[in-house]
Amino acid sequence: MVESKQQWKAWLYLAPAIILLLVFTVWPIINTVAMAFMEDYSGLASIGGEATFRFGFGNFTRVVQNAEFQQALTNTMILCLITVPVSTLLALLIAVALNAIKPLQKALQTIFFLPYVTNSIAIGMVFAAMFNVIGSVGTRRPLISSYGIVNDLIRMFGGNWVNWINSGSEYWANMFVMIVYIVWNALPFKILILLGGLAGINKQYYEAAKVDSTPRWRVLTRITVPLLSPMLAYVIITGFIAGFKEYTSIVGVFGESMGPVHEAHRLNTMVGLIYDSLASNNQGRASAAALILFMIILVVTLINLRVSKKRVHY
Amino acid sequence: MKKVISLFLMFAMLFSLCSFATAEEAPAYDGSEVTITFYNTMGSNLTAVLDNYIVEFNKLYPNIHVEYTSVGSYDDVREQVSTEITVGTQPSLAYCYPDHVALYNLAKAVQTLDAYIGSTAEITRADGTTEIMGLTDEQKADFIEGYYNEGLQFGDGKMYTLPMSKSTEVLYYNKTFFDEHNLTVPTTWDELEEVCKQIVEIDPMSIPLGYDSEANWFITMTEQLQTPYTSATEPHFLFNTEENREFIKQFREWYQEGYLTTQKLYGAYTSGLFTSTSEIKSYMSIGSSAGATYQRPAKLDDGSYPFEVGIATIPQANPEHRRVISQGPSLCIFKKSNPQEVNAAWLFAKFLTTNVDFQAEFSMASGYVPVLKSVAENPAYAEFLASADGGDFVSALSARVCLEQQDAYYTSPAFNGSSTARDEVAALLPACLTIPDGVDVDAEIQKLFEKAIEACNYSL
Amino acid sequence: MSQNTMQVMSAQNMRKTSTRQKITRVLSQTGVYAFLGLMAAVVLFPFYWMIISSLKSLAEYRLSPPTFWPTQVLISNYSEAFTTASLGMLFKNTMIVGIVSTLLSLVITIFTAFAFARLEFKGKELLFALLLATMMIPGELFTITNFATVTNLGWRNTYHVLIIPFLVSVFYIYLLRQNFMQIPNELYLAAKVDGTSDLKYLWKVMVPLSLPTLISITILKMMGAWNSYIWPRLVANDEAHRLITNGLRNAFTDTTGDVNYPVQMAAVALVSLPLFLVFVFLRKYIMSGVSRSGIKG
Repeated sequence: MVESKQQWKAWLYLAPAIILLLVFTVWPIINTVAMAFMEDYSGLASIGGEATFRFGFGNFTRVVQNAEFQQALTNTMILCLITVPVSTLLALLIAVALNAIKPLQKALQTIFFLPYVTNSIAIGMVFAAMFNVIGSVGTRRPLISSYGIVNDLIRMFGGNWVNWINSGSEYWANMFVMIVYIVWNALPFKILILLGGLAGINKQYYEAAKVDSTPRWRVLTRITVPLLSPMLAYVIITGFIAGFKEYTSIVGVFGESMGPVHEAHRLNTMVGLIYDSLASNNQGRASAAALILFMIILVVTLINLRVSKKRVHY
Repeated sequence: MKKVISLFLMFAMLFSLCSFATAEEAPAYDGSEVTITFYNTMGSNLTAVLDNYIVEFNKLYPNIHVEYTSVGSYDDVREQVSTEITVGTQPSLAYCYPDHVALYNLAKAVQTLDAYIGSTAEITRADGTTEIMGLTDEQKADFIEGYYNEGLQFGDGKMYTLPMSKSTEVLYYNKTFFDEHNLTVPTTWDELEEVCKQIVEIDPMSIPLGYDSEANWFITMTEQLQTPYTSATEPHFLFNTEENREFIKQFREWYQEGYLTTQKLYGAYTSGLFTSTSEIKSYMSIGSSAGATYQRPAKLDDGSYPFEVGIATIPQANPEHRRVISQGPSLCIFKKSNPQEVNAAWLFAKFLTTNVDFQAEFSMASGYVPVLKSVAENPAYAEFLASADGGDFVSALSARVCLEQQDAYYTSPAFNGSSTARDEVAALLPACLTIPDGVDVDAEIQKLFEKAIEACNYSL
Repeated sequence: MSQNTMQVMSAQNMRKTSTRQKITRVLSQTGVYAFLGLMAAVVLFPFYWMIISSLKSLAEYRLSPPTFWPTQVLISNYSEAFTTASLGMLFKNTMIVGIVSTLLSLVITIFTAFAFARLEFKGKELLFALLLATMMIPGELFTITNFATVTNLGWRNTYHVLIIPFLVSVFYIYLLRQNFMQIPNELYLAAKVDGTSDLKYLWKVMVPLSLPTLISITILKMMGAWNSYIWPRLVANDEAHRLITNGLRNAFTDTTGDVNYPVQMAAVALVSLPLFLVFVFLRKYIMSGVSRSGIKG
């Protein structure tokens, strides 16, 4: 009796969210699935009326057989596997450090939040400018107008300048820039969430640790991290989901060509492939690519959830 | 007997076809109250001009209400319109590039204009005067041919767009430097190579030429050399040919020698290199005619310019067959359930493209060139052209060069996939130019061309 | 050893450890500041670049090599950014959409997170997994279908269309659920025994205890309204409903379709300012946490 009442009540609480999700999320997803199985479906061509679209797996096979697919998948994986742990760890250290200081605390908190309030396209342009080498790199008569601020710093400390993003640059140099940018971009959100989590931790734990004169790193690993684990699980799982959807950051640095001058598309990602198909009005292929991406993210998230169930202390 | 009957039948058929055609193809605006929507990319300085001429237009047609929206960039207009087409709420007319029209054509949403252009139906305007619905012969002849023909680039011989305002590429050069060293402005690519060689000897710290747009460069070369690029009919992507690989190989040689660079290769705007005050600079720059003010160096403290800018037609492969690209927005009209709305949109598009005063004023405000020959005789515009110099009035100088090369304009075929081809050759050219010495250059170029063709085909 | 000496020794030990502690404390504190300082510099640099770019002329912006300080400081970029776009209207629209959608979204998020964190019902796990799954499909694919939906509903160029489709965010529901789960179950059961209704418990206990998270959500959601671009441009690009990012982006494309970047950078800086102030104002609430948290285990 009590249980059925709870059931009923739970659905009441869920009702607004579920109704809105059905209309604005589930229905588009159903449409996406339908388009993915209509071969070479194009929204505009279907309006035109003459085209008919065969049912089949043709969109999927074309996406997978595309020369760029493997590269895009590899890029996406690498970016995810590096940026998520790095940004989470940095955000954790920064959040804990911010929590442990008194003077300048407010000013520093504000600074670390700054990247969140600006337009990501504008900041992408700024990043490109920082790493950009201007000149005729790699010709018989190389003339360099500007090495970019990052190389200027390297040279100041006696190092050799690096060709980060320009013609002739190495894959890993490109990747390095992307990783720095993505981590930079991801930090404020993670710091914000983790600071919120830290604020909720009872000060008594730390006072107890102080009395016992427990070393700092031990406090961090034995008290802070376990108590923060729900928030950490959250930032890691959502970080992976966002990481698999990486696209605009690469456009910000490399432009629509998604790669350095001598090798366009080299840094293309899974979402980049989706956009390429959308741009040529190939919604069928875009949907197929999206579903493939969805399956990948689903598997990764299930693994994440499984792990977090064991590790997270509520 | 049989023959006679069949002949008779044929005549009857022909006759009925003709009558059918005339019955359907004489659209005329009936004066009814309609609202038309116009999507464009105009900034506030241009909408100010537009506002004035909407008032003028409404003096003639008070019942046509024009509502316009500055949607953003050209890509934004394309996104907005193609999304709206899917639900049938597209505007009445919009700024367009040929690639956009090819996209909208997938949905058969664009109104072909042949019937409108040819309509001789007479319409009475609010001021008591009359005009025909279509274009008069004088109006047709007044359009600069290369611009007008852009509307016909869709592979079916039908007219889809009217040119609105145009730009092209011109060669900017440092006139002060050229005069000082007795250099001649190159008119062909061979002369260009020679001039570059001389400039590098004079100033070893220079990259003599900066070319702004890689895509334009590639496509213009195929036009100048009359080699294949794309076709509006299948097979679409034809640019992987011996001759094209050959000119790219030549460019690579020049790039490796440090004679020239492009925006992507250089890593910054080539206009910035041209106007640079630092040691490394260029003395020639090929860029949009509408961006003349970016090619002008910043004033010195005494108010003078560090050098005078000269403007010329870009180098050619064959002086007998001059070719320069035609860019800039056209207008396309969309099909609508209310035929009077389409008629009204046509009248407005016709007004904007054939009104000499509007074309003159709009050109002066925008830096683009007018699409009508007779604008040059418009007093205000003639005064503007007369003011041309290599400093304060560099825009006028650029416009003058554009008007002098009227016979040279080309546009490339537009079809679903033509924008991908453009993107691919824009990436292909710099990729080939950066192939380092010491590898099999021909094989590398061949490989890159094949990859570009493959990427084009994937987009279909 | 006598008890006395033992006491003395332990006291000496204590003193020793305390000086050592002090030294390590100072050292580690310096380390913490050095780390934070370095990271802060990295975070700040792009902003420095944005600000100086916003003060340059377009010609200087295009110059290569770039200048590190504008040779001629153009404050006028800011006034141009301010006047070119009709900022008053844009701010008003953005405020309306931002505030209404944030409030509604908070309510929905709280209810949903509560159901998932506290209530028992059939298929809860499955439903939650499905909810998470919806986050994984790139949202760009929803645009066309949603565009058709709102057109059919007749919502184009209204405030509805800017607010309603994005009220539910699985990201925030998930975040709040994580927070709610941390609140001990005993508290809920005790409240049940006392006869407190679910709604009252939610309002009096869970919401106050999750205040930092709720404020974070508020900031993130406001930010979303402030920065949203693609959807508003598509569905409500009329003068009366245009939002700030759109208004600003449209205003600075010049005749060639080129963007006047310095002025746009100035506009970005201007638009960021209110958000920045909101953060500065709310920061202490995020940080203070819940002082009366004697409840937590």
